[in-house]
Amino acid sequence: MSDLLGRNYQPGEDIVTEGEVGDCMYVIQQGSAEVIRTEDGVATVVDTMVAGDLFGEMAILEHTVRSSTVRAVDPVRALTIDRKTFLRRIQEDPSLALSILDVMCRRVRNLDTTIAHLKHQLAELSANPEGGSPDGSPGENAP
Amino acid sequence: MKSEELTETDRTDEADFVFKPVRPVQSEGQAPCQLNCPCSTNIRDWIAPIAQREHTGASLREAYEEAWTRIVDHNPFPAVMGRICPHPCESGCNRIGKDGNVSVSALERFLGDWALEQKLRLPRLDRESRDESVAVVGAGPAGLSYAYQMARRGYRVKVFDWHPEAGGMLRYGVPKYRLPRSVLDAEIARITELGVELCLGVRIGTDLSLEELKADHQLLFLGLGTQQGRLMNIPGENGASVWVGTDFLERYNEGHALSLGEHLVVIGGGNTAIDVARTGRRSGARVTVLYRRQLEEMPAIDSEIRHAREEGVDFEDLATPLEISRDASGALRGLTVQRLHPGKQDDDGRHVPQAIPGDTYYLDASAVVIAISQVTDWTGLEDAESMAGAETTRQPDSRLTLGGDVLRLGIASQAIAEGRKCAEQARGEPPNSLLADKTLPTVKVDHYAGADSVNLTEALPDERLLSPDLETSHTISENEFLAEVQRCLSCGSCLGCYQCWMYCNAGSFTPLEQGGPGQYFSFDSDLCEGCGKCIELCPCGYLSPK
Amino acid sequence: MHDTKDASTKPGEQGHEKVEEEAVRILTDPGSWAKHGSGTDEEGPRSETNGDSDNWKLQPGNRVAVIGGGPAGSLFSQFLLKTMAHLDIDIDVEIYEPRDFNFCGPAGCNHCGGVVSESLIQILGTEGVVLPEEVVQRGIDSYVMHMDVGSVRIETPLQEKRIAAVYRGNGPRQSEPASIAGFDHHLISLARSAGAKVRQQMVTEVDLDEGRPRITCADGHRQTYDLLVVASGVNSALLGLIEKSGLEFKAPTAVKSFVAEFKLGAATIERSFGTSMHVFLLDIPRLQFAALIPKGEYLTLVMLGDDVDQELVESFLNAPEVRSCFPGNRPPDNACQCFPRLNLSHVRRPFADRVVFIGDSGVARLYKDGIGSAYRTAKAAANCVALHGISARDFHYHYWPACKKIAIDNLLGRCVFGFCHLLQKLRFARRSVMRMTVIEQRTEGAIPHMSSVLWDVFTGSAPYREVLFRTLHPFFLGRLIWNLLAANAWKSGRRNRELSTP
Ligand SMILES: Cc1cc2nc3c(=O)[nH]c(=O)nc-3n(C[C@H](O)[C@H](O)[C@H](O)COP(=O)(O)OP(=O)(O)OC[C@H]3O[C@@H](n4cnc5c(N)ncnc54)[C@H](O)[C@@H]3O)c2cc1C
Ligand SMILES: Cc1cc2nc3c(=O)[nH]c(=O)nc-3n(C[C@H](O)[C@H](O)[C@H](O)COP(=O)(O)OP(=O)(O)OC[C@H]3O[C@@H](n4cnc5c(N)ncnc54)[C@H](O)[C@@H]3O)c2cc1C
Ligand code: SF4
Ligand code: SF4
Ligand code: SF4
Repeated sequence: MSDLLGRNYQPGEDIVTEGEVGDCMYVIQQGSAEVIRTEDGVATVVDTMVAGDLFGEMAILEHTVRSSTVRAVDPVRALTIDRKTFLRRIQEDPSLALSILDVMCRRVRNLDTTIAHLKHQLAELSANPEGGSPDGSPGENAP
Repeated sequence: MKSEELTETDRTDEADFVFKPVRPVQSEGQAPCQLNCPCSTNIRDWIAPIAQREHTGASLREAYEEAWTRIVDHNPFPAVMGRICPHPCESGCNRIGKDGNVSVSALERFLGDWALEQKLRLPRLDRESRDESVAVVGAGPAGLSYAYQMARRGYRVKVFDWHPEAGGMLRYGVPKYRLPRSVLDAEIARITELGVELCLGVRIGTDLSLEELKADHQLLFLGLGTQQGRLMNIPGENGASVWVGTDFLERYNEGHALSLGEHLVVIGGGNTAIDVARTGRRSGARVTVLYRRQLEEMPAIDSEIRHAREEGVDFEDLATPLEISRDASGALRGLTVQRLHPGKQDDDGRHVPQAIPGDTYYLDASAVVIAISQVTDWTGLEDAESMAGAETTRQPDSRLTLGGDVLRLGIASQAIAEGRKCAEQARGEPPNSLLADKTLPTVKVDHYAGADSVNLTEALPDERLLSPDLETSHTISENEFLAEVQRCLSCGSCLGCYQCWMYCNAGSFTPLEQGGPGQYFSFDSDLCEGCGKCIELCPCGYLSPK
Repeated sequence: MHDTKDASTKPGEQGHEKVEEEAVRILTDPGSWAKHGSGTDEEGPRSETNGDSDNWKLQPGNRVAVIGGGPAGSLFSQFLLKTMAHLDIDIDVEIYEPRDFNFCGPAGCNHCGGVVSESLIQILGTEGVVLPEEVVQRGIDSYVMHMDVGSVRIETPLQEKRIAAVYRGNGPRQSEPASIAGFDHHLISLARSAGAKVRQQMVTEVDLDEGRPRITCADGHRQTYDLLVVASGVNSALLGLIEKSGLEFKAPTAVKSFVAEFKLGAATIERSFGTSMHVFLLDIPRLQFAALIPKGEYLTLVMLGDDVDQELVESFLNAPEVRSCFPGNRPPDNACQCFPRLNLSHVRRPFADRVVFIGDSGVARLYKDGIGSAYRTAKAAANCVALHGISARDFHYHYWPACKKIAIDNLLGRCVFGFCHLLQKLRFARRSVMRMTVIEQRTEGAIPHMSSVLWDVFTGSAPYREVLFRTLHPFFLGRLIWNLLAANAWKSGRRNRELSTP
């Protein structure tokens, strides 16, 4: 694996870290990684990435800090895509943005499901205050 | 990862690196089918004009005619041989390992039938005629092949045969359901159209002596075949209801009804035995074939055995009769059969069966046909007999040659080849038959697209038994023919795939104005850069490393 | 000058001066493109069909023929089918590719160095094309530059391998194919999964059948299509045939280059070459550039130059700088060799109504990243066909700009390579470049001016325009001049030592 494309990450290693400034996005070549978001000191796994998946695309579109941490679950090999390379190409071929849109669409859809799920739980909670997770987060996703 | 590692000390070497070019040569290789054909028919080369007609621009008819002309150069009986030849060529076909051999026999049969339909005439080689006259004894495939080859070279040819009709074993041996007589007649008629004269009903040695023939003719050919069936020398074999295979078939083929009774037992395992058995089934008898060795060792053609089984013939292997028993009136009752052990293998790998002492049984039978072997009838021809044993066919008398079954029992293809070779020899021509010095090419079977082989359609067994002369299998359709033709890999001969020309960066290949099957491009070795790419691209092996 | 007689592969040399002249003209007068690219007036007659613009768009059930399943053809097919699927238009795409990429040796290979550039790897990543393990023979993360004055390693600042060394076919002659999957095989498989039909047939004739392109194959198969995409590269006789076919088309000029494979074994390669590509700037006449690329068990040699031939190959491989790279100080007998043609110019008008030329058969990036330009032209053509149309006019406005960009950049590339060429000739210049690079690589935190320029030149990751402008930057020039002086002031003292380094 050491002679292959990209960079290797050990299980548990952070590929990107929430709050850092980034100037590239990533494509996973091998292995899987979790997207972790920390809110009020509580870390929650919000998504899982596998080979072929893109992440960190926000950094390419707007110059902001990473919104979440991506951590290798098993040995991960990932490739970085430079902001510069990408923007240069997208100028020539705007359709490349479609691939980013695809990723974002998937995210929004996932988000919608999660929100619906949470709303449902919340509703159940207020109707029946004894049951459900006390903190209101989707139980199975809690770290 | 496996690989032999080069250690630093291995090759501390002051010699300069030298570029080693890999260059092609264009050279025709031997097609294995042709090598396997007893008649050395140039199969690849007659398939090519049809398969490559897109390149040559020939019409279908022109291509067919060209192909047929190439076949009859070697063999004047394509429609016959396409039906009855066991086609050993196919067992050598390079396509076997990919998706089955090219069905050469089916192709040959289609083309043979087409030529008969079109009433094509056999082409002459020499226009002017010669004074020498030639006598041929025996109108079997060997004699007719010789007669044909001599006639097309301008000789006056007379063929003598004591049978009322020409064809030899093809007419008096091979049953009609395998070879319709119309086909045989038509292919023989084409030979007589060349001017070959048939003198039928004349037995040389008795009606006319060899000396008389020699006096009238400059060259003689004896294609006597083997007419006398051998008996087994067992008690009871002489008498009613016991025949030898060739006599049995001859009578049947001549239209004589034979009363076989309930159960016919056939002894033997060759084509004659199977023909007898299948013929027996067509007369309504139950049939059992007794064979000395194991079934797998039967010399008969596999498809024949299959057809016999389909038609209800029973086989008992490792069995041989000891005695044929008859009742007081002399009528046949049955056989005492000895069971055999496969035995040890001899030098040729064939088992030599041995009797298992005391293990015998009795088999009811109403008729017995002994089809184990045939020998030549040399009556009145004793002078020539000694030649049959000699390896070269021209020793004692340089004007006389022999060929066909008379030399050794074989198949028709071999008889035709020998007739041709004797004719070539008589003319002092180099044998056109063999490409002995050509090497077998490296054919890259993977370079060709896969395609399934054609299947002959066959009449159902019940239909066959109901109409005894109904041909068992059918000639393939033209579409099937054209598809099958494309399956030939053209082993060792340029098929004009364009690969070398398209991909050679150096432009070493130039399309030939007169390009056609065998060579489409000329090669200029001065331009060649020595990459060797074309050698690897050439599917048929026509380009090989220099 | 060239021994090639075949018109299709004739490497019609364009003098460097002439090209540079053209570069200046184009740069100063962008309008001139219209004239010699594809005149707007030429597109004029199209107006009669403009009213019925649907005629010039692919309709459901239309048939597209792609000649050549190399990177350009396969990527085009994949992109077109995906976009058409988005648009809900069902079309047939047939790729004609006689080559079986599963064959070892040149028969199954589209002959090249097999370096997939950094930028292409990244873009393919965004396109969702992941190169599996069997395809990538080695990830490359550094370059070693060899000159007579010494060698220097240039590394990426990232601890990451973003350049892939691949085989285009199934590895060299007689290699054990089991663990190898070729790059081209992978791409054509992706095209197949996207719905393209691959026909293992060779096209031998292209003509028009009532205004529609028609192709004929070696086996006689003949078919008319709604759109013809020519992606046959410059390593077959096809473009020569098309030139003669009556379609207004002039094949690009190409020169002879060289590729060979050496079997060294994985461990030796690991030890002697690691994950570095070795490039050579040597003063050997006619040699433009040479590189050794480590792969699994083999080492690939690529030589680009002016008509590389047997003699040039030998003089290169016997140069001490090259020999010293091999264990035992001598290259072993090579397993595989070929003299592929390298595209040196672009096609003036790589399109017509219903016909478009992509990849090498249209335009390729000069010397570097040819696969990258195959991708770019394939994508641009696919977008044009799917979103705009298939008339010459559509291609002119929506496809040609992408080609033009590469063509213009190539003209600048010639300047960059002209500079490299000068470097090969001038020893004192070599010294200074070497010195500057060595210092940059040694010093932690140094700004890698020279290194990044060299990196981009060797890897083909950045447009030549960028490279050129960077070298024209006053700061860069300043450093260079300083190093020129420094390296050559000390030369009397150091020369002997440097020369003795193998
Ligand atoms: C039943 C049977 C089935 C066969 N099936 C096949 C098969 O399926 N495929 C295959 O390839 N081969 C088959 N063979 C073999 C094939 O028929 C022979 O190999 C071939 O016919 C031999 O040809 P020939 O010309 O040497 O002899 P024959 O065909 O035997 O011809 C010899 C001719 O010479 C004549 N003759 C003999 N002596 C004299 C004389 N003194 N004067 C005048 N005329 C004379 C005979 O009348 C006869 O017509 C079969 C043979 C038999 C018996
Ligand atoms: C020596 C050398 C080294 C190179 N090294 C690199 C490198 O390291 N990295 C890089 O990115 N680029 C490199 N290139 C450039 C690269 O090889 C090409 O730019 C690239 O292959 C172009 O892709 P393509 O699809 O246009 O054409 P090709 O890859 O040439 O593919 C053309 C396809 O068309 C098919 N074809 C041809 N004729 C016909 C026909 N008549 N009918 C049907 N099909 C046909 C062929 O079989 C082939 O598969 C190198 C080039 C050379 C010469
Ligand atoms: S493929 Fe054709 S030439 Fe080759 S052995 Fe078979 S029949 Fe003969
Ligand atoms: S492909 Fe051309 S250059 Fe290569 S070996 Fe064959 S003839 Fe010579
Ligand atoms: S590659 Fe094709 S055209 Fe060339 S010699 Fe071989 S069979 Fe003939």
